Amino acid sequence: MKYKNKYIRNFNGLLMSAMAALVGMLFVSASIHAESMPASGAAATPETPAAVAATPETAPVAPAPEASAAPAPEVAAAPSGPQPLEERLQLCAGCHNPDGNSVIPENPKLAGLNVKYLNRQLKDFKSGDRTSPIMSSIIPMVDESEFKALAQYFSEQKRSDGATDKPDLAAQGKQIFDEGIIGSAVPACSGCHNEDGSGTDKYPRLNGQNSVYVVNQLTNFKSGERKNDPKAVMQTVAKRMTEQEIAAVAEYVTTLKEAQQ
Amino acid sequence: MKTILSMCVALLLPLQATVAQAEDAYTPKVYGKKGYVWDEMTPERVEVLKMTGDPVKGKEAFRGCRGCHKADAAGVREGVYPRLSGQHASVLIKQITEIRAGIRLNPKMLPFVEDPAIAVDEIADIAAYLNSVESLRENGKGPDDMSARGKKLYTDNKCFTCHGKNGEGDAAKAFPVLAAQHYGYLMREMKLIETGARGNSHPDMVKAIAKFSQSDREAVSDYLSRLPDYRTLNAVPATK
Ligand code: HEC
Ligand code: HEC
Ligand code: HEC
Repeated sequence: MKYKNKYIRNFNGLLMSAMAALVGMLFVSASIHAESMPASGAAATPETPAAVAATPETAPVAPAPEASAAPAPEVAAAPSGPQPLEERLQLCAGCHNPDGNSVIPENPKLAGLNVKYLNRQLKDFKSGDRTSPIMSSIIPMVDESEFKALAQYFSEQKRSDGATDKPDLAAQGKQIFDEGIIGSAVPACSGCHNEDGSGTDKYPRLNGQNSVYVVNQLTNFKSGERKNDPKAVMQTVAKRMTEQEIAAVAEYVTTLKEAQQ
Repeated sequence: MKTILSMCVALLLPLQATVAQAEDAYTPKVYGKKGYVWDEMTPERVEVLKMTGDPVKGKEAFRGCRGCHKADAAGVREGVYPRLSGQHASVLIKQITEIRAGIRLNPKMLPFVEDPAIAVDEIADIAAYLNSVESLRENGKGPDDMSARGKKLYTDNKCFTCHGKNGEGDAAKAFPVLAAQHYGYLMREMKLIETGARGNSHPDMVKAIAKFSQSDREAVSDYLSRLPDYRTLNAVPATK
């Protein structure tokens, strides 16, 4: 995430969006190439987009300023019109896995997220209320009429469990998740997201989520880069947290398992 | 590119509109400032008092409060977060609307209770829910039992005229319940009300506690924290 902070601080909002748009267009053409590759099913796709998404520090996203100097991207980005769900899923599967349990640390698991939440995120990517160098370049290809079925599909998949190799950090995170941080008035995450992280229709599921993705989101809420939280409370919460506390709570979230009913 | 730019402009416009709106909105007056009248109704409070709160909806809306006040509204024993269960709906509505209006100052909580985190009708729902909810955990008490001295101070200084003989408050007049509240919270609020830092002090209460020493505050807080939840007093005894 460092590259983002470094550049974003130096630009005002408009410039930023313009840059994001340029970078976005590059990605669109990149992913379109990926898509037009011989379609040997979902297995083939992971390579390209995965490499794109895997490491923000090193991925082509990083040298954003160069993007503006690059030759104008081919305007092959025109939306290809609505696609049937099974075909569209191949695009998503490359980054989010066919069952929505992304194995790429930067990409969120979509499996088991609430259908309304998923729908809203897709709409927000489309409208620009939520931006991401990667998703903002994917979403122009997807017709709004497809969102409902996509959201429905991913909401019905079973969320896989995650694991940590940093148990001490996760233990510190558990304290924050369950009790909050009294000194800096950070409310306990469990209050809204439930103790097992299973969430509700208003608060997204967190259990098993990839920790790198969770760190990125909290960092973006903290910086105000992500501001599509309808109650605006996530920005407040994240602003009250240190980087270390964010890392800890994200590590714990990964280890959470949904309670048996 | 043009669409992206116009989208950004479109995003900025409503922002300006809200700023403009906030400027000609109702101006709250805080204790100590000229024109402060205790219990002066804000337009929002008038609106909320007309509503009938739905405790079921209130329980769901309270989800956004549980991170601090806890799932059973017991708050935390040290009193950083007060116990809210059993408080009169009228008091809860007064406090919440005054916090939103900037009359009672509570920066830690404000972002979680102001619009858009909580809608106006959810205030009525939450108040109805909290008034009836039962806290499962015990409240925080003082370090030593000083309730005898505390009771005397409470009586001699006529605190009961507003807060009731059993610390049960007064729903009609929006005087808060004090019984079974956390010791730490009672200690802090007395000081905040006395200095005016809370923003919505009752001038007569300020007079009543003006001569309290630190140990007087400790004794009264301890006494109040050890009083039973007033709702158990008029509860019909269970038939075995
Ligand atoms: C090139 C990789 C890539 C592809 C292809 C892709 N995504 Fe994403 N997706 C991401 C990344 C990275 C994020 C995280 C964005 C961020 O950091 O805010 C994301 C985020 C999301 C989110 C937000 C999840 C949350 O928890 O808030 C949704 C919903 C989503 N994607 C749906 C889809 C759908 C549906 C498709 C297929 C149409 C798709 N994505 C295709 C990489 C991809
Ligand atoms: C970030 C933590 C936090 C959150 C979240 C929070 N509160 Fe509070 N609340 C506080 C603190 C701290 C106080 C005490 C402030 C003081 O000392 O005056 C308080 C006080 C109150 C009071 C006044 C109690 C009294 O006895 O006067 C009410 C009512 C209240 N909160 C309701 C709510 C509701 C309703 C929500 C959710 C919409 C909420 N709070 C969310 C921290 C929080
Ligand atoms: C004239 C009526 C009145 C008298 C007398 C009075 N109070 Fe109060 N008290 C109030 C009101 C009203 C509030 C709440 C402030 C508000 O919302 O306007 C309050 C709040 C409090 C609180 C904080 C409660 C909470 O939930 O936040 C404490 C503690 C308290 N009073 C203690 C006392 C003590 C002790 C005495 C006697 C020395 C006393 N009061 C006398 C009216 C009174």
